Amino acid sequence: MKLGLVIDLDTCVGCHACAVACKEWNGQSLMAGGAPDYDGHGAAPSGVWFNRVRHYEFTAQAQDTAQAQGCGHLNLSKTINVPMSCLHCEDADCVTVCPTGASYKRAEDGIVLIDPEKCMGCNYCAWACPYGARELDTDAGVMRKCTLCVDRIYDEQLPAAERQPACVLACPAHARHFGDFDDAGSLVSLLTKAREGVALLPELDYKPVNRYLPPRAAPEVDTGQANARPANLKDRLRAIANRLIEL
Amino acid sequence: MKPALSVVFFTVSSGAGLGLLFWATLARLMQGPLPGFEMAVAMAAVLFTAGLLSSSLHLANPRNGWRAFVRFRHSWLSREAVFAVAMYPVTALFLWADAHGQRGLAVVGGALLLSLALLVLVCTGMIYACLKTVPHWRNWQTVVAYPLFGLMSGALLWLATSIGTAADQALPGTPMHVGAMLALLLLAAGGALKLSYFLRFAREPALPSLNAAIGLPPGRVRVLDVGHSGRTFLTDEFVFALARERARLLRWVALGLGFALPGLLLAIAPRWSALAVTSCLAGLLVERWLFFAEARHVVRVYHGDGAR
Repeated sequence: MKLGLVIDLDTCVGCHACAVACKEWNGQSLMAGGAPDYDGHGAAPSGVWFNRVRHYEFTAQAQDTAQAQGCGHLNLSKTINVPMSCLHCEDADCVTVCPTGASYKRAEDGIVLIDPEKCMGCNYCAWACPYGARELDTDAGVMRKCTLCVDRIYDEQLPAAERQPACVLACPAHARHFGDFDDAGSLVSLLTKAREGVALLPELDYKPVNRYLPPRAAPEVDTGQANARPANLKDRLRAIANRLIEL
Repeated sequence: MKPALSVVFFTVSSGAGLGLLFWATLARLMQGPLPGFEMAVAMAAVLFTAGLLSSSLHLANPRNGWRAFVRFRHSWLSREAVFAVAMYPVTALFLWADAHGQRGLAVVGGALLLSLALLVLVCTGMIYACLKTVPHWRNWQTVVAYPLFGLMSGALLWLATSIGTAADQALPGTPMHVGAMLALLLLAAGGALKLSYFLRFAREPALPSLNAAIGLPPGRVRVLDVGHSGRTFLTDEFVFALARERARLLRWVALGLGFALPGLLLAIAPRWSALAVTSCLAGLLVERWLFFAEARHVVRVYHGDGAR
């Protein structure tokens, strides 16, 4: 299995519900070991988040627009919200560089985890991660990260529909999907294929599992600039009716 | 990158200690009894051990520090730790064999010690050079710098301890004279290396584009909001701001104190080698601090700092 997330940059509204749900679940999770807040209600609040949402503005340049449209991507300008958590890389340098063996990637499902019993808090794995997925818990002195809610997805006490990461369940825009990328028929595989899902920073060659679906070109909306006469009788009658209403 | 002072001190101090031990051992193997050998070994032990202890200060959970030895096959940090700790028994073996006149064993132990000292320093360099996330570090200069600067400061230290005990030996042809020439050579090589690092630094585009970072087609991307109102682990650790003017000044300080001034002192007044050593170590501390402070981690791209 190759478990991971598909995140839809077209429909993500940037509400941070995933980040908050993550914090809520993992703040108490035994598996993740907690995500503490520092000075939570004070002047300079900070804390550990396994999932952070950032907001960008994309503007296609004139010379790029043709290419962007050619890809079926957006053509003008858009606010793009990018939630980021661990991408559970296939070639995870954070695991390679870890001197203690606290960081490991599970063979059975590809989830990258940290064993807090072994971590010495040297930060080296966080240095090796280009995605900022790892954050140090200074209370416990160990590194923390997304576990893909490993303590939810296999929990048979939960109804089957809830055996998903907290962030996926919480997303009101259905911009997050969880599944097995090794299964060509899974929703995540199908979405990635249909929408040309991309890997972030492919040039670093960490082979991240999570895929991001690029924003699509919105269909042209007929704004009714048409002072032009409608073509058929039915539309012409409709236009007359509309004008009568507006009188 | 945030320069962790404990790591800055560790690499400079341990590097100098290993360099000193390297030259003292080499001189002992090649020349036999030399003044200041015991003094040099003691000082090397102090510098090296102080560095190692300091390195544990940057661990958030030092209780698990001993586990750093277990991933030798994968992690350069683990390799560094293993080789560093192996220095103690190997040095003890060499010293024992040397003191008891076991020439053969001393040669073997000495050779082992020399290669191990270099290995530790190469591992330190590789810890940084193997990171794909910090493009500035990912080059041969980083790997060469640690052994070279260690041997360089070590040579100066060796000279200082030896001259301190045998004042009039710095005559042409003596081991001291050879040592001084060697130290000068190393200072020149080190200065050239650091200069080339700085020059490459200014020339190369450091980070990937924001488009690649968030998987977008060509076009202009700018950060609207990073999603947090205060500091985070990521901004603390990776988004270290160093003013351009300050960096420029510190570069000259590092080059001047670390390489130029010691070289000058050594060339005109070898007796002042203690001053040369002090200057060199101070310069190396600045150099090491800059090595971290100037390096830019890829995660900064997500925060709006990088190639547009």
